[in-house]
Amino acid sequence: MNEELVELSVIARRAGIRVTLVRRYVEFGLLEPASRTSEEPLFAPSAASRLAKAERLRRDLGLNYAGAVLACELLDRIRALEDQAR
Amino acid sequence: MAVEFKDYYEVLGVPRGASQDDIRRAYRKLAREYHPDLNRDSDAEERFKELGEAYEVLSDPNKRERYDRLGAQWQAQERAPGGGGDFEEFFDRKGFGDGVRFEFGDGDVSDFFSRLFGNGAGMRSSGPLRGLDREALLELSLEDAVAGGRRRLTVDDGRSIDANFPAGVRDGQLIRLAGQGAPGRDGGPPGDLYLRVRLKPHSTFRRQGDDLDVDLPVAPWEAALGATVPVPTLTGTARVKVPAGSSSGRRLRLRGRGLAKQGGGHGDLHAIVKITVPKHLSDEQQELFEKLAEVSDFDPRKGRS
Repeated sequence: MNEELVELSVIARRAGIRVTLVRRYVEFGLLEPASRTSEEPLFAPSAASRLAKAERLRRDLGLNYAGAVLACELLDRIRALEDQAR
Repeated sequence: MAVEFKDYYEVLGVPRGASQDDIRRAYRKLAREYHPDLNRDSDAEERFKELGEAYEVLSDPNKRERYDRLGAQWQAQERAPGGGGDFEEFFDRKGFGDGVRFEFGDGDVSDFFSRLFGNGAGMRSSGPLRGLDREALLELSLEDAVAGGRRRLTVDDGRSIDANFPAGVRDGQLIRLAGQGAPGRDGGPPGDLYLRVRLKPHSTFRRQGDDLDVDLPVAPWEAALGATVPVPTLTGTARVKVPAGSSSGRRLRLRGRGLAKQGGGHGDLHAIVKITVPKHLSDEQQELFEKLAEVSDFDPRKGRS
């Protein structure tokens, strides 16, 4: 998908959460900025749903940030394997 | 609308005398099992909501006490001669409404919960959050993938939607429909809907990535002498030049007549020569073939032991 990269504040709004929370997830490595060429890091639009997923898992299952990030990464891997098996 | 009694103990699979620790343990285990981000079954989300509601009530000593008291009375009445009816009637008769006016339709909790704890007694909230993304399979014929159009689809939450898809979609492509996923929590934005494209096998064209193969039947004399013949494409018919001396299996490329490529452009269509011989020959044709056999020194098996 060739969609435009967006700023962190836009990602926060689309995920429905605060900018500080997005920053925290970036620190934990959930999101990699797609570009750092401008002053502000830019993210792929899909980052919003990834953030929301991590935050749902964190809140609903009582995980900490590292645990939520790990869960998201494992889910990605499972998804990739399922796609391969199809 | 009848409001049915909900057995929150049964939902969490714990006995009525379960301790707070037992309840917490049971909830955490089931929450991991049915969390909609972890479990892609269509009924997991409903089950997860039910778990949250049960835990909300049973983990709070005040709510649990109220639930136990009213629940026991309701069930006793149901067993009594001439008893029965639904929970709502029970409330109306016993006057347990506490003067609270109910407006059903809060999506996050059941009517039973609202009835028991009053309108506005929602779940403990931890702030707004975007809703789940959804997915639907978009199965298309090659023709439809090339042309684009509109299709009725079943989303993984069971909904049916009419979705437009653009011309030139590729197998495995994800088409994002922003905001068409599950509603957000506590006023958060909705998730997105992804259409996952799957191209169906075609009776005429074989797909090789972005390229297509199609068989091109030709008569022996067309193959030997050369000819320009029609070949089907996804959008109609093209003409292809079969060079003189083409054997079966020769691939004739029609550039750009394949499927859309990622990043623009199109794959190619390959017409594969397939020499086809008439089943019955007239006397004259028979004679001509025999004559050809006589004058020809062509050995198609030359060099083979």
